[in-house]
Amino acid sequence: MTATTSNALSSRPTDPAITSGPEVVGCSGDTESLTLSGERRRREAGRVRFFFAVLRKNPSFALGYIIVSVVCAITVFAPWIAPYDPMTADPSRYLQPPSWAYPMGTDSAGMDIFSRVIYAPRIDLTIALLGTLISAMIGSILGAITGFYEGGRTWRKFSSALVMRSADVLQAFPVFVFAIALVAVFGQGVSSVIAAIAFVNTPIYLRLMRSQVLSIRKMRYVEAAYVAGSPDISIIMRHVIPNALPPVLSQLSVNIGWSVLLTAGLSFVGAGVVAPLPEWGSMISMGYQNIVTGQWWPSIFPGLALGVTVFGFSLIGSSIEILSDPARRRVLAGTVS
Amino acid sequence: MDNNPVDQSAFGLSRRSLMKGGIALTGLSALSSVAGVTSAFGQSVPTLIVASPQTPQSLDSEFDISLGTVDAYGVLYENLIEFAKIPDPKVPGVMREDTGSYPDKPGGVNAVGKLAESWEMDPGARWAKFKLREGVISNWGNELTAEDVVWSWRRKFELGGVGLFYLATLGLTKPEQIKAEDKYIVSFSPENPNPMLVRIMANLFAHVFDSTKCKEVGGEEDPWAKEFLRNETASFAPYVVERLERGQQAVFKAREDYYGGKPFFDRVIYREVPTSAARVSLLRGGAVDIAQFLQPLEVIQLKNVPNVEVNTIDATSMLWIELNAVVAPFDNKLVRQAMNFAFPQEEIIKTVFQDLGAPLIGAMPWFYPSFTDQYWQYGQNLEKARELLKEAGFESGFSTTLSYNAGDPVHEQIAILYQSALRQIGINLELKKYPAGTFYNAVSERKEPMIFYQDNPWTPDPGYAMSLYFDSKSFVNYSNYNNKEVDELLYKIARSADESERVKMSQRVQEIVMEEAPWVFVAYPNYHWAHKTGVKGLTYYTSNNIRYQDLSRS
Repeated sequence: MTATTSNALSSRPTDPAITSGPEVVGCSGDTESLTLSGERRRREAGRVRFFFAVLRKNPSFALGYIIVSVVCAITVFAPWIAPYDPMTADPSRYLQPPSWAYPMGTDSAGMDIFSRVIYAPRIDLTIALLGTLISAMIGSILGAITGFYEGGRTWRKFSSALVMRSADVLQAFPVFVFAIALVAVFGQGVSSVIAAIAFVNTPIYLRLMRSQVLSIRKMRYVEAAYVAGSPDISIIMRHVIPNALPPVLSQLSVNIGWSVLLTAGLSFVGAGVVAPLPEWGSMISMGYQNIVTGQWWPSIFPGLALGVTVFGFSLIGSSIEILSDPARRRVLAGTVS
Repeated sequence: MDNNPVDQSAFGLSRRSLMKGGIALTGLSALSSVAGVTSAFGQSVPTLIVASPQTPQSLDSEFDISLGTVDAYGVLYENLIEFAKIPDPKVPGVMREDTGSYPDKPGGVNAVGKLAESWEMDPGARWAKFKLREGVISNWGNELTAEDVVWSWRRKFELGGVGLFYLATLGLTKPEQIKAEDKYIVSFSPENPNPMLVRIMANLFAHVFDSTKCKEVGGEEDPWAKEFLRNETASFAPYVVERLERGQQAVFKAREDYYGGKPFFDRVIYREVPTSAARVSLLRGGAVDIAQFLQPLEVIQLKNVPNVEVNTIDATSMLWIELNAVVAPFDNKLVRQAMNFAFPQEEIIKTVFQDLGAPLIGAMPWFYPSFTDQYWQYGQNLEKARELLKEAGFESGFSTTLSYNAGDPVHEQIAILYQSALRQIGINLELKKYPAGTFYNAVSERKEPMIFYQDNPWTPDPGYAMSLYFDSKSFVNYSNYNNKEVDELLYKIARSADESERVKMSQRVQEIVMEEAPWVFVAYPNYHWAHKTGVKGLTYYTSNNIRYQDLSRS
């Protein structure tokens, strides 16, 4: 704990807010517990009603959730939806235009584009989700530790400064170029792209979490935990990180969409997944040369799928951003009631 | 201000008219910089604009064989001789080299003189002599002499670059074997007889430098003018390099004093346009005169574009997949044969190449002397492939990797089709994409189990062509193929002056190679000549480059 925080603790906390911190809910006796759970259910039902009211009021948010839900459903049910194997090439089906047999046509290796577009989110979303989650986890933990110890006088201060300056260095590189360099180092493949996405996203979460922690660490429930003798790591994991998470969660959605785009971009320039794995960027890359010769379908359909998916994630991100902001929620509550 | 007579110049120029003039001049100069269409005197000068994947990286033939550089050598340097030109039997209006065998001519070659006006060769192939033209002047004003030829070949000995291959091919082991007999006669006398002594002088890398200039600029510090020749030329060729901006463009300027007469095009602007789709767009839009190295579908599409002409010409190019003979399971001949029987060659020619090429059914270009297709035994037959795998002990298949060049869309298409075909016989083929910049490193490292390679042997000689790829000591033998009998036969072919013996030995090499299948035989891709209507005069050379001095515009 830093000197600043210790000074803040010189007066023993008596404010009830100290015991009503998000993670410190006291309960005693079965009756009281039942009352609380009933209250919680009512609150949750109210939140769901509010959520749907917001969606009705803002159809674009609803569209985002629909798009992402459809993409997720397609990802799960791809083997039942796709009419052909997405990785079987057949020279007799070379560059066939869209038809009933091949709704989105075939590519220059004779693979069915519709089947590949359907299967592609399995790769794109897996990479984006894993890459983003890994970066969120690492970035959040590093950000929490850095923020928690910032301003101290020990070696921890030096460590947190070192972490922040390292993040500065990482962020000084153009993200895409940096990702290409990482894939070049790790070698081509799905795991390398995940690693690259995790690496380039980590500083974002680090900064986000750090900024949250800088304010949370001065909260009285944190000080109370400190006075109660909790070790730093316990305070960080139990009291600081959980309360700093909402902005991180809202960033996740935007970041997943962006990671889908980065994955596609890496594959487009030949640094992402290896053909013939169905992946939107790789499909666009394989087909874009044919646009000039009039065969637009190998790249346009995966391009549309990519665009719509990223759009969906960004709409969800916008909705979460608004819903997690109490002030904007109050404004929304006023308009939807 | 407008009333002030001082503001109006004596020539009646107002600020507005100056601005108008400035804008017009800016536009014109921009246009000139793109097309180079006006001379210093405002007269139109013929300029040719070429869109190509790569500008020259270096102008020194010892150290660079990249695409743009090879194109540059053809216009910036001159050889002693060249093959006589004959009309292409399939493409009207296009000429090609006469690569046939002519036993009654010196060296068995139908050649015409360039820097040499006559030549003779010992019937036993022990020596060849070339009499140079007199009064030929370099771009630095120095006269061509036999010393220039001697210096050019000695440079190969000293620098140890690409030239070493040519020295080895000719069996030249000492600089003294190249001698200036007098001011205008130069002789080559290798240790052993060599039937290629004349033929190889038409090769793009057998050109002659202006040694006087090279010695002058290099001095004692750089006696072989390495630094100078990276960016400049000292030669007797029809063009000089006016500007070289790597990655952007090279500008070649015609020489007024070229001994063969000034070329039609005063300037050639050689623009780097990396993607073929962009090159096609530029040609369609009329921004360039020639678009090089296009994809088959693009060629088909350009055939219907007004004001654009496309010809596809039988070429020396061969595309194959190296099967690394020292990496299991390709150290087993039966597996290599099975890989060929699994390859959907005909379908690939039809789809990927759009029939603008032919199946690779031999070990050298099909129009080279001594070529035979009688040992071709493959073609897709999955049942046969399964049998061979079973015999080789791989009944349940195996996994391996095929590496390809991200810069060549054809590679990826073939790789995916091949992958699907191999899956049917239990072989799991993983694809590995190399960026264009590192692909050739991967090829030359010879570590990948399977990797694409495309090449064209420039000298139309069976010994030359097959030594490149099948001699165990050749640096281009990227499949690590090693067969003692083949090595011995190639050694003898390179030293025999008996043409009928050479043919017999060449055919035996082809028999062994086709049986042992060190490659997956893919295709002979055609050469595509896509240009604006009116540009004419193309000669197809075995080195697959355009020599702009051949061209004119009607």
